[in-house]
Amino acid sequence: MDNKGLFAKMEQSIINYDKDEAVRLANMALEKGIEPVAAINEGFVKGIQAVGDLFGREEIFLPELVMGADAMTAATDILGEAIKKSGGKAKYLATGIAGTVEGDIHVIGINLVTTFLVANGFNIKFLGTNVSSSLFVDQAKELKPDLILLSALLTTTMPNQKEVIDSLKEAGIRENVKVIVGGAPVSQDWADQIGADGYGENAGAAVEVARKLMGV
Amino acid sequence: MIKLEERRASIQPVKSKLKISILDDEDIKKINQTARDILEEVGIEFPSEKALKIFADAGAKVDFDKKLVKIPSHLVADYLKKAPGRYTLAGRRPELDVKLGEGNGTYFQSSGEAPKIVDFETGQRRPSIKSDVANMAKVADYFPMVSLIFPPVSAGDKGETAPIHSAEALFNNSEKHIMTESIDDAISAKYTIEMASVIAGGRDKLKKRPLYSMCLCSIAPLAQDRAGVDAALAFAEAGLPVEFMSMPTMGLTAPPYQAADLAVGLAEVLSGCVLTQIAYPGTPNQVCILPAVIDPRSGDYMYGSVFSQITSAAAVQLAHSNGLPICSSFSFGGNAYKLNSWQVGRENVYVPLLSVMAGADISFGPTGLIEAVNVLDMSRLPFDREIFQAIDIITKGIKVNDETLAFDMIREIGPQGTFLGQRRTAEELPKLWPPSILFEKSKLAGEKYRDAEEVAHEMIDWILKNHHPAPLDENVRQELRKIVAAADQDENLKREIKGSKHG
Repeated sequence: MDNKGLFAKMEQSIINYDKDEAVRLANMALEKGIEPVAAINEGFVKGIQAVGDLFGREEIFLPELVMGADAMTAATDILGEAIKKSGGKAKYLATGIAGTVEGDIHVIGINLVTTFLVANGFNIKFLGTNVSSSLFVDQAKELKPDLILLSALLTTTMPNQKEVIDSLKEAGIRENVKVIVGGAPVSQDWADQIGADGYGENAGAAVEVARKLMGV
Repeated sequence: MIKLEERRASIQPVKSKLKISILDDEDIKKINQTARDILEEVGIEFPSEKALKIFADAGAKVDFDKKLVKIPSHLVADYLKKAPGRYTLAGRRPELDVKLGEGNGTYFQSSGEAPKIVDFETGQRRPSIKSDVANMAKVADYFPMVSLIFPPVSAGDKGETAPIHSAEALFNNSEKHIMTESIDDAISAKYTIEMASVIAGGRDKLKKRPLYSMCLCSIAPLAQDRAGVDAALAFAEAGLPVEFMSMPTMGLTAPPYQAADLAVGLAEVLSGCVLTQIAYPGTPNQVCILPAVIDPRSGDYMYGSVFSQITSAAAVQLAHSNGLPICSSFSFGGNAYKLNSWQVGRENVYVPLLSVMAGADISFGPTGLIEAVNVLDMSRLPFDREIFQAIDIITKGIKVNDETLAFDMIREIGPQGTFLGQRRTAEELPKLWPPSILFEKSKLAGEKYRDAEEVAHEMIDWILKNHHPAPLDENVRQELRKIVAAADQDENLKREIKGSKHG
């Protein structure tokens, strides 16, 4: 199979929401010595774009989007490791880290935000819930993301969004990233008050805000 | 015209003559069995060491590393027997007692706990603060449709101790039973139980007449919150009622079927009841299962969905088959809310109507919550009162007897006559035209009735200015103040809350 054929299969594996196949093809690409950046850009990204388009037209719903994003993430995790070693760069709209702030274990909202962003061509590392400010800062230093997405579902944990922003300032890396906040009690006013760069009312809005901030 | 007059708080359960059964006996049996299979084979995560130990000592299979409890069916059966089917959620006065399991019908509870409010003066949305909790408690105290009070909004200006400040605001502004949902750690629980104890006149009196209770929501699917479970145990230890709530969402935190949603929800709430019955047998337990669907495009939580509502009403039969009282359904307030949205009205009618007809002991009535319970708009309450009134009338059914068949009147008046100028008509007609905000005569030319929004706003304004809930004794108020001040200074509490959600 030529590279073109393999890329088409990669694209199709995402469109079919076939995680096993996506993983198999990602590994095959590495074995064959195909440039991992090319595998992502020419293959998998096209698949997730197609899935994102279908979702945007309401021809498919969230379960398919999640399956597509899962397959995408599984493949890019494998290829990402190889890219890191070679020092190349895949053609993502932007990169980011996402998580729910310390003291808060709500996972669904931030999960959807991550899925939406992945399906829209962003590369997002999901840090999980109850993420401390220091972990956000450490990850920001290590991964140098364009975006940091902070979720808080409780009025009592909202202040920890501010704590993350303050910690980024203290670490001297606040200017390197755009911070987007969200969660039921969070508002644009709150985002302004704590010096966040953006606020998304829901997962769809988070994508719009991320695009706007990144100019993509 | 609704006559507004100064009066003391009163409550009004809705007793329905209309009954619905959504599940048949076989359905109930199967769902109960699946819930028991979940408890026995899959297990529930209880990240509380205390809870794990209680379960282990009682003979459940406990994996302390995974913090997973598997409860054999015989234990479930044995311990559920200890939960009372009849008990009272006491008000400050016996006339305000919510008596569960006595066939009084469905008591409506105010809904909550929203982080935002529509400012009563400006009409603008803003984060809610402690004084909003106090104002809403006052309004809820005035309306008989609210039989017991759930914190309507957060005391967002008070940081970690917001739930304790909220309790103070509620205790100071209503005589009705208070059920908290945001006290979800043992330290905050102790402070607020102490407040309730001061009001009741001691721990023993509080236990006899529990004017305070708590509701703990599980983490779907199949997990409980550590600090929340510790709080529930603190309430149970004090002899206070504990409600376990589950919010399983079809296709997200439960399988995409209504039956499975009920089984998952039931397993979650029963796990909590069994825990409190092992630790403190006889604890008054109540359950609440609020199934939902999601908008498959955005993931937005849609409780107002008809699929959710019929499932929620079905949970009544499941709770009762386990000998437990249930709070079924809550006023969700629509997702696509705009002021005057008909969606809110539509949901607020059929949601509690189903619940009342299904025989729920309590229902989160429509009480001004909008935008998926995220915003409180007090001006909605008079509209919700209209809905409550309609539900009350519908479910009372029709009285049929010699008097109401009125054959004597019909014989007397005969063909082509009118019944208008009759003494009995004069007596009865007002009953067929109950007070409403919809038909206030307008003084403006060309306008038949006044704008109901305006009338509603005036009504709330009047209540806020003129209703004075029976105050607590000054020394009790001072005591409560001291307890709240102590909580504000408690570093352990702050640490506990900050770390409370650590799995």
